[in-house]
Amino acid sequence: MNHAHEPRRRGLRAARLSGFLAATCAAFVATAHAQPALPAQPTPPDIVFRNATVMTASHGTIEHGAVWVHGGKIAGVGATVNAPAEAAVVDASGEWLTPGIIDPHSHSALDSDVNEATSPVTPSMHMIDAFDNRDKALYQALAGGVTTELLLHGSANMIGGQAVVIKNKFGLDREAMLFPNAPGSIKFASGENPKRVYGSRDQLPSTRMGNFEVMRQAFEDAKNYRATWDAYNAKAAKGDKEAVAPKRDLKLEALADVLRGKLYVQIHCYRADEFLTEEAMAHEYGYKIRAFHHALEMYKVADKIAPEQTAIATFTDWWGYKDEAWDAIPWNAVMSMRQGVRVALKSDSNDHIRRLNQEAGKMVHYGGASEDEAIRMVTLNPAWIIGVDDRTGSIDVGKDADLVLWNHDPLSTYARAQKVYIDGELFFDAGLPGFGATHFSGAMHDAGGFGSDDEEDGQ
Amino acid sequence: MKKLICVALLLAVAPAGLMAADAAKKVIALAGGRLLTVSHGTIENGVLVMADGKIAAVGEAGKVTIPAGAEIVDARGLTIYPGLIDPETNFGLTEIESDQNSNDLAEPSDEIMPHMHVADAFHAETELIPVARLNGITNAVVAPASNDTIAGQDIFIQLAGADRDQMILGRDVALAMNFGADQRRRGGRGSKTEFPSTRMGLITQLRQTFLDVQDYEARRDAAAKKDDKAFKRDLKLEALIPYLNGERPVVVGVYEGYDIETIMGLAKEFHLKVVLNHVTHSQEILDKIASWKVAVIVGSIYDFPLANERFDAVYTLPAELAKRGVKIAISSADAGGPVSSHSSRNLPYAAGFAVAYGLPYDEALKAITLNVAEMFGYGDKLGSLDVGKTANVVVANGDPLDVRTDVKQVYIGGVAEPMVSRQTKLRDEYTK
Repeated sequence: MNHAHEPRRRGLRAARLSGFLAATCAAFVATAHAQPALPAQPTPPDIVFRNATVMTASHGTIEHGAVWVHGGKIAGVGATVNAPAEAAVVDASGEWLTPGIIDPHSHSALDSDVNEATSPVTPSMHMIDAFDNRDKALYQALAGGVTTELLLHGSANMIGGQAVVIKNKFGLDREAMLFPNAPGSIKFASGENPKRVYGSRDQLPSTRMGNFEVMRQAFEDAKNYRATWDAYNAKAAKGDKEAVAPKRDLKLEALADVLRGKLYVQIHCYRADEFLTEEAMAHEYGYKIRAFHHALEMYKVADKIAPEQTAIATFTDWWGYKDEAWDAIPWNAVMSMRQGVRVALKSDSNDHIRRLNQEAGKMVHYGGASEDEAIRMVTLNPAWIIGVDDRTGSIDVGKDADLVLWNHDPLSTYARAQKVYIDGELFFDAGLPGFGATHFSGAMHDAGGFGSDDEEDGQ
Repeated sequence: MKKLICVALLLAVAPAGLMAADAAKKVIALAGGRLLTVSHGTIENGVLVMADGKIAAVGEAGKVTIPAGAEIVDARGLTIYPGLIDPETNFGLTEIESDQNSNDLAEPSDEIMPHMHVADAFHAETELIPVARLNGITNAVVAPASNDTIAGQDIFIQLAGADRDQMILGRDVALAMNFGADQRRRGGRGSKTEFPSTRMGLITQLRQTFLDVQDYEARRDAAAKKDDKAFKRDLKLEALIPYLNGERPVVVGVYEGYDIETIMGLAKEFHLKVVLNHVTHSQEILDKIASWKVAVIVGSIYDFPLANERFDAVYTLPAELAKRGVKIAISSADAGGPVSSHSSRNLPYAAGFAVAYGLPYDEALKAITLNVAEMFGYGDKLGSLDVGKTANVVVANGDPLDVRTDVKQVYIGGVAEPMVSRQTKLRDEYTK
């Protein structure tokens, strides 16, 4: 561990502790588990893009549009903008400008530490502890226009660990790559992976019955833990000097935070019946499911899931790699969207993360998504799943200037990311010799593998 | 397009056997479309006539006579191109990747398995084939997985037919070889280590095998001259004879530049007719590859560059090879391949991505049609819109290499295939 990381590590622990303390008060805020804020940065200079085809993701496409970036934020967007004369002008004639691509399901940059597959319930794992900010997969994703990633625990465990949200500022140090104040997420899984991992060791769970019962027991324990703390806090609040604080248990503390609604719940889940079981369990224990990931059978029950306001992060056309992917159809995303489900596309792969824009393009083919709907599936909708849609994911005034300039329509096979900006700063320029990564020097690391859920399941 | 839809519906309900026989007799003219011929350029307002399973006429509208009684399909606004050919798949050798019972991918009991015939395992009714066909894939090479240095012999198929015999156009069309780190599987710990456990071992084993084949062939021929009935056939060695005689191609799967040089040294020693496959990390020896005058299957184009290589080091390989005059094919594998037959439908997008990184468009289309046909001995029958070739023809609503394009109709042997797969059935069942 590089000592340069230490301040942030302490900061994280402090944030977690303060989150815990806040939870003991009546008026905690939903962002208590948020990632830390970034220290003040020097303000990048103003930029104005002119003559671009601007795909805003929120309010359609503007032909020959302009976007003004001021202080790292979008300050203007439209046919014209009121940029100051000293702003650096980027003539984007014949080019397309989109929000940065956002991947709500990545396991990049975690070396082989994707799964703590030693117990089916590991909610106190924090992916930040494995984050390798020099992994080549981050660079390759950046060159594909990816500006934000949710780095998730794997799917070996019914209740896995807590995610880290990064801005893909490849070349900066570890703490500068964390998405400031991003809310916390926790990964759950279901189906074949947990039952295979533990079943192959003759342990519980080895069936879907076992899977869900392991979860119920975990939440029963968490309910009890929460009640014990609530009782203590009530006594302490009344000034009871005799009150003795219960022993802290990191695992139960994390689960209690799920019950308190302080972590977004992201569930790896394939089958229609399991979406329904997961929602029923969420109702029973009083938490919300932010998104089902993979969700290949959502088209079968989308009308039942839409009212729950649970989104999906799905593959476009991967199928047949295991039994629970046998009913996958490439129309899943658009069919689910038409039923009112918020749909994002995701990579779960160091390969596909480099071309999520093309995956979005496939949605025009499979189901007739409009270009606006398609681009939203890799920008604004994944931003919502991560909980940062008020900050990024569309080209709107006030949002972070996370932008990609493409040489072709980004929904075509032919598009290459030419320039990638994050918070108004240029991080990738394909026109430069060498890597084209403007902030990177030195050697990249190679975590190996393909960065998928199934690969590192602890078998 | 209405007629096209009618044809598809009609065929969907007709019994398969009857349908193929009757439909092949029908003369169909696709009129008014944009023809990407592959062999002789693009015809903007073209007519293509299919009769007796073959392409009967191709040309500009007005210059092609449409036979009386032909079914005329209005193809205005549509793009027409030859059926795509995937140069490496596992069609019919796997169904669900994680389910070993559905897999007949390779025989790993020994490194040298030339007598494994893919034709013996090919499951014609696989659900994977209609899925790929819907995106315009009409032909494919089916190869064993890459466990062995000599994994077996490929088949060349069409993605339609009543049974296996109709679908397999050629048995044992090529030998599947592999060389590199992945084939060194006997390097266990302590006493478990067996020969061959290194690249040196693999090459020695191959060289000895090839010498054994030459010796066997000589003894076999001598026995035949003497009419020696007692001569015992060795199926393993016999299987290699046509390849050592340079009669059929040997497809060599190899990733690293130094491994390519090693295996090519052996291939030249024995005069093998090589088609290189993958060549992911060959950026340093591209000129050398060109000098060997071998054809190359590039794939996966999505394989990862090494750490500290530029992000597009592999994306640009097809363009770099084509620029040097190498005949290339592009395969549909996902990163980490070598094969992902479930993704075969994405073949045209891999070719399109090569265009994004510098490959001329016409070369890209060739790399998934005519070039593949030529590499495997079907250049006179498939791969372009030319009179006399098999009428494997695709009609789409735009550029075939673009992810947004929708294939409207696929013809194989002049028959409009039902645009149905297990996946479309699920889609329709759940469409509210």
